[in-house]
Amino acid sequence: MNYGMQFGPLWPSARVSLLSEPKYGALVNNFSWGGDVVRDLQGLRAADFIYAAQNGPAGAEGPAPLSPNIQCYTFPKGDICRFPPARPDTVGILGYYLMDAASLLPVLALNVQPGQLVLDLCAAPGGKTLALLQTGCCRHLTAKDISVSRIKRLHGILHSYLPKAARDNVSVSVEDGSNWEQVERDVFDRVLVDVPCTTDRHSVMEHDNNLFTRVRKKERQQLPMLQMQLLVAGILAAKPGGEVVYSTCTLSQLQNEYIVESAIKMAETQFSIDVHVEDLSCFRRLFQDTFSFYAECRVGELVLPHLTANFGPTYFCKLRRAQH
Amino acid sequence: LLEAVWLSLAPEHTRDKTGNLALGNLVQSLLDMGFSHTQVVQLFNLQPRLAPQQRLAVASELMLLGLYPNSVLHVLQRSPNVLRMSVKQLKDRGERLRQLGLSEGHLKHVVSRCPPIFTLPGKKIDATVRLFKEKCLFTMDQVMEILRSCPNVLLKEPSDLEYKFQYAFFRMGVKHKDVVKSGFFRAPFTVIRSRHVFLERRGLYQTPDKKGQTQVINAKLKEIIWLSDKDFLAQLACASLEEYDVFKKLLAREEEEEEEEDRDSEDE
Ligand SMILES: C[S@@+](CC[C@H](N)C(=O)[O-])C[C@H]1O[C@@H](n2cnc3c(N)ncnc32)[C@H](O)[C@@H]1O
Repeated sequence: MNYGMQFGPLWPSARVSLLSEPKYGALVNNFSWGGDVVRDLQGLRAADFIYAAQNGPAGAEGPAPLSPNIQCYTFPKGDICRFPPARPDTVGILGYYLMDAASLLPVLALNVQPGQLVLDLCAAPGGKTLALLQTGCCRHLTAKDISVSRIKRLHGILHSYLPKAARDNVSVSVEDGSNWEQVERDVFDRVLVDVPCTTDRHSVMEHDNNLFTRVRKKERQQLPMLQMQLLVAGILAAKPGGEVVYSTCTLSQLQNEYIVESAIKMAETQFSIDVHVEDLSCFRRLFQDTFSFYAECRVGELVLPHLTANFGPTYFCKLRRAQH
Repeated sequence: LLEAVWLSLAPEHTRDKTGNLALGNLVQSLLDMGFSHTQVVQLFNLQPRLAPQQRLAVASELMLLGLYPNSVLHVLQRSPNVLRMSVKQLKDRGERLRQLGLSEGHLKHVVSRCPPIFTLPGKKIDATVRLFKEKCLFTMDQVMEILRSCPNVLLKEPSDLEYKFQYAFFRMGVKHKDVVKSGFFRAPFTVIRSRHVFLERRGLYQTPDKKGQTQVINAKLKEIIWLSDKDFLAQLACASLEEYDVFKKLLAREEEEEEEEDRDSEDE
């Protein structure tokens, strides 16, 4: 696996970005009562990139299929400012959550609508769970993760960001999401499968050839298998007609397009479930001012880190389960 | 001309009207040596309180060392204390510089880059030479070449020079002879470092391994240092100016924070 070959002339720019400080976005917490959170963020000369995209030229083509109500502030391209830590409001709820702004794209792509049942299959530590809840659309959100310690962090985040009432329609559990026997089938309107992956930001070392020497080898070999099992489990958990978003934070084709394609085949042959890939190319147009997209994925969309907008990598691909 | 020179003198030198004749001779000698009228006036404008005779003495001595009138003026303007040096002191310094390979032809060049070369304490010069020989292991010929091409090293802190050398040698894997040839010590360290790290993180530069091998072909030190930003980006880094600007800011902040961390851990 050699990114130089995969990305050609785009690779040096991505590589230097992976090895330099990443950029953050501030996900506004709609449950905070501070009121002046947005004003403070604007005072820093940050802007809500989602709002800007929808109200910019690319947004004029009509409303995009995005999960609603999510606001995330970022500094303009080329600006390396950092956000100060979020402050609690009068009842102790924090005003914003700092995260890789590109991680919101899978959540936006999931297009959660009011009253839906949502599953977050690999939820911890919970950045995307929190974003899903910002939509205010989840009738119920089920969050699972296999790691006890990471689930603790997820609980911590929910406590810092949600009032008790809002936590009531979230259930969190420690579970192996790849276990097909155990998943509730045909239940959820929306499923997010944000799988574990090799984190390129940590593994790009001095020599491209030993790109992954730092990651334990055994885990690495099993990773694609696990990713595929998780995605198939996500597909099984979705209702007929339901939508599934698969996402990773790696540039690796093997863990991105290849997993999606294999899982689709697997769902068909093993479970006779038809799954279609949804076109998300409108994301590329919509968010071109904030992210640097790689246009060549066979399926799905990929954000390549770039020094002027050092977000990502984020891969996301949306699947729709056929009605029957 | 004489009038102008006369006017530039401090009162103590003009009180005695008979001095006028001597002054005439003095000015004539300077003209004979090749100073232009303007240069003579400039020479007398420096430190008006100083005796006229001293100017001639110092100027002649500097010309004996191989400088032209414009270099002489340059030295005296940038390093005014030279005017107060005795002929003996100047001769000694000239001798020392000759030993370091900085004679006639080179000296002109050297004083333009390092005007205080005549007033620099001898100890400082020795310390720099010793650093290059003993800590950096340059040969004496190489040391002389460095002094000729980068005389500004004489003004630097030895510890900074050592750090800079180690960066080229260990971090970039550049050999002594290329360090010398490239004029490395004349280049600002921040430029060298940001360009090198930029290339490295782009996957376009590697520190050679123990056998001196790399998997990419490293650019020459000389090019990394001396290309304009535009050419560096187009020819070596294949990157946009925008990217490089952001990178420099990020790298500066990384460095600042590393230093803070170092300081904090020292405090503990
Ligand atoms: C990329 S992280 C998820 C990040 C999270 N969605 C967020 O936005 O904060 C992947 C997660 O998958 C979890 N995981 C790994 N194997 C799993 C499995 N078999 N079932 C469920 N979760 C698993 C890991 O513990 C890890 O927390």
